[in-house]
Amino acid sequence: MFRYLAKRAFTYVFMIFLTTSAGYLLAVSTLQPALLEQERIPRPTPDQVVNSFRLKGLDPTLNPWERYVDWLTAILTRWDWGRSPNGAFINAEFGDRVWISTRLFLASIILTLVIGVALGVYTAARQYKASDRVITSYSYLMYIVPAPIAYFLVQLGAININETVGERVFFVTGISTPGLDGGGWDQFIDMLAHYAVPTFAITIVGWGAYQIAQRQYLLDNVNADFVRTARAKGLTRNQAISRHALRVSFIPVAQSIAFTIPAIFAGGFFAEKIFAWHGVGSWSIDSIALQDVNAATATLAYGSVIFAVGAILADFATTLVDPRVRVQ
Amino acid sequence: MTSNTTANTITQGTAERLRVAGLHAPTGAVLSVRDLNVRFNTENGVVHAVRGIDFDVLPGKTLGIVGESGSGKSVTSMAIMGLLPPTAEISGSVRLNGKELLGLSDKAMCQYRGNDLAMVFQDPLSSLTPVYTVGTQIIEALTVHNPTMSKRAKGARAVELLGLVGIPSPKDRLKAFPHEFSGGMRQRVMIAIAIANNPRVLIADEPTTALDVTIQAQVLEVLHAAQEETGAAVVMITHDLGVVAGMADDIMVMYAGRPVETGSVDDIYYSPRMPYTMGLLGAVPRVDVAEKTSLVPIEGIPPNLVHPPTGCSFAPRCPLASEACLDGEPDLREVAQGAGHSAACIKTGVLADVDGHAIFAVPAVPVSRFDRLPRQERKTVLELRDVRKHFPLMKGALLKRRIGTVKAVDGLSFDIREGECFSIVGESGCGKTTTLLEIMEFHKDQDGEVVIGGLSNKQSADARAKAGMRRELQMVFQDPTGALDPRFTVYEVLAEPMENLGMPRAAIRKRIMELMELVGLQADHVNRFPNQFSGGQRQRIGIARALAVNPRLVVLDEPVSALDVSVQAGVINLLDKLRAELGLSYLMVAHDLSVVRHISNRVAVMYLGKIVEIGDVDAVFDNPRHPYTRALLSAIPVPDPELERTRERIILQGDLPSPLEAPAGCNFATRCPVFAALPPARQEKCLTLEPALEPAATDQQFACFYPDGELDADMVVVHENH
Repeated sequence: MFRYLAKRAFTYVFMIFLTTSAGYLLAVSTLQPALLEQERIPRPTPDQVVNSFRLKGLDPTLNPWERYVDWLTAILTRWDWGRSPNGAFINAEFGDRVWISTRLFLASIILTLVIGVALGVYTAARQYKASDRVITSYSYLMYIVPAPIAYFLVQLGAININETVGERVFFVTGISTPGLDGGGWDQFIDMLAHYAVPTFAITIVGWGAYQIAQRQYLLDNVNADFVRTARAKGLTRNQAISRHALRVSFIPVAQSIAFTIPAIFAGGFFAEKIFAWHGVGSWSIDSIALQDVNAATATLAYGSVIFAVGAILADFATTLVDPRVRVQ
Repeated sequence: MTSNTTANTITQGTAERLRVAGLHAPTGAVLSVRDLNVRFNTENGVVHAVRGIDFDVLPGKTLGIVGESGSGKSVTSMAIMGLLPPTAEISGSVRLNGKELLGLSDKAMCQYRGNDLAMVFQDPLSSLTPVYTVGTQIIEALTVHNPTMSKRAKGARAVELLGLVGIPSPKDRLKAFPHEFSGGMRQRVMIAIAIANNPRVLIADEPTTALDVTIQAQVLEVLHAAQEETGAAVVMITHDLGVVAGMADDIMVMYAGRPVETGSVDDIYYSPRMPYTMGLLGAVPRVDVAEKTSLVPIEGIPPNLVHPPTGCSFAPRCPLASEACLDGEPDLREVAQGAGHSAACIKTGVLADVDGHAIFAVPAVPVSRFDRLPRQERKTVLELRDVRKHFPLMKGALLKRRIGTVKAVDGLSFDIREGECFSIVGESGCGKTTTLLEIMEFHKDQDGEVVIGGLSNKQSADARAKAGMRRELQMVFQDPTGALDPRFTVYEVLAEPMENLGMPRAAIRKRIMELMELVGLQADHVNRFPNQFSGGQRQRIGIARALAVNPRLVVLDEPVSALDVSVQAGVINLLDKLRAELGLSYLMVAHDLSVVRHISNRVAVMYLGKIVEIGDVDAVFDNPRHPYTRALLSAIPVPDPELERTRERIILQGDLPSPLEAPAGCNFATRCPVFAALPPARQEKCLTLEPALEPAATDQQFACFYPDGELDADMVVVHENH
């Protein structure tokens, strides 16, 4: 088992190194933070710009390869991922960003998975009945509707509620009210008021995919020969399905879940932007707009790590639920 | 159930019908089915799949239900078990120990399913849940019906059950998952689950169809033991008349959802009174008969049950059909007063002592122009010299290392002369198919020499030589549906090989018309697509395609194993005819030894990549010398109840060994019944030396040190309990 893990980890570390290096070289040769500096008032001279960047380790006069070697040396020797053009340290900002993304997505993804899988089982057991048709149609609708539109609609709904009630029940943006003092209870209520809208929005958009997948895989199995065998033993149809078909149909779903869980930490651009939670997702896009080579590369590297963790988790999940798969 | 309750619950008409059918209420019947009807609502209309079935089964007795696919056998069994989808309309009565089962809710039915009423299904590979251990699945069957049973008692019972069905070291195997078992072992587990609660009725739906003959013999033996152990009544559903001949006490022949003939096993096999039964019996080739007659083909296909038949449902396929047959469906009528033998045919009286071959238009046995020439004087069409195919067995993902060799084909030599049919037989995994692939490969770097029509793979294996080889040799595949492109018309299918050879269009067109006629298809059907033909017709198209380029040798890979018996007979007759008329040679691979005996001139028996016995088919089959051949032959069920009852059957232990465990000396020693009976001093030779095929004066060679040796008594079974 450990040999297998070590082998997989080695492969992924190598892949992460390749993607990150390629990403850095691409970023460093295309992103030009110096151009943005020109728009400042008063306009700095080119020498000032170069000077200021050199101090932050972003010397634009070096060629990409030299900068790559410097960057890589700093990471390998001091675990220093460099600085942004505005002087911020990537290492320091990174932790905050990941924590924000995690808080935004953790609850909603767990809800998404639980509701999606449960509804998948529910609808598969009631195939073609009214409840199945309604739920499955809704899931397909959520497939089609672009996520930002759904998020905006939820925001509008929350604002409507606020207006109807006449006071601010829900916060549609932001993480917490700045400068709020008061006891633990007030803090808690404030947190709920901020969490409710994004969590609700991400959940109702997200579970469609799991519902459709779980329903489909379970339907593939409800008429399987082994379910018939279980019924022939004396189990009722529902018992046979829940004990035998469900576990088999969960194998492919478990894999996709394993890929989703680490993605919680990587966040998502639209949700973070729309609800103004500045996590990893929005950081990665912003860093490109701000011509920030180091931040763009760091988010890319982080994405690769999350993907690798997801892949390893998926392998584990499969081994866990399917005895036919052995880790060698 | 008693006759009183029957009379109370069913109408007078049904009672009369039952009395006539000889199926009326024998007291003590454990399962009684009366006027069972099943209808399915489909897009094309209501399919009346089962139309009035009556039978009783007594404890400890076996009822065989036989018929072609689509005759309603499986639907009947599923209806009894209450496992049909809720959309199926079921009417009639199914009584288990006098209690009515039809109309019970799923929940109420669960009290009987797996308890008094158990079932073994056809495909053991998919019938066990892959994610639970075998032990869990057996124990589940115990838990459902004995909630108070202690965990320990359930464990002990599961071990006992596994032992009963012949799984070695049952205690350890409880923790194994289904995928760690072979097909035969999984079917044993299925039987263990079925008999876990000592059922009164055991329904077996084609329990051995998916298995090799040797494994089939083992599983039938286990079923037999299970029946003796539990005293259950067994309902055996099968299309194989050989399998039921030895097992059943009574037979019900089904056609188009109805019983068309019922009676004791001897009545049905020795004096059938319904043309359909006669046809079925005549369609089965016999492994134990050397005399050659053509098989009885039953032309046509079973009726579509969307439309209720207005006359005898078999009339369109019956050679004896007359006007009267089309006037109303005949009832099941007793053949002779009180004999318990009934048939649904208005000509029953005329059919006494009539041979099935006589009423069906059985073609004469075709004679090839080569048959008169002695074998040595005929030209060689195909020759294999020491052909080997070894696969390395690798382990490790990044750095692979060789941990062994699978000797799929290990030093094969044989030749095929003009006009003869040479067959290779053996269990799955013995290397039959690899041999064919090696011949089709025809490459210079192969290990061993393949000579096809004078062309050797060693001399010139360029594209041109290969094209020449393809003209000499063509192939017919096992699954006729998979082997034909569904988007090609028959014309395109047949034209392709000829276009490849650059034949002019006009010649191709003419040849296609010839071919269609040759294989017995209507020439104006060339523009149809494969899915518009039946299975047998598709296989005929496959044969026509192989013959398009006028090959001298046709390779047949299990050509009839996907077909129903009645259809199979027609295709076998066609192959026989083509061999004689066109002077073809065949190389056939088949697992059905009866088919092999019927069609072949010579045969090779393969075991783990080697030929263990080779020679003239009659010599090998009548006087097998190698213990493996003896075991294979004894495992084939024969459609002759008398013979089946007294026949000595060799039951091989276990499955084909894994290639990694191949023994050093004789490959077969691990399962050999002769080896097991030898004193240790003589066993030594088998374990250290590898027996070779010894040259012989007659056309029969075998690779065994102790041919005709004493058989180990434990491996020989004779049933004389009927």
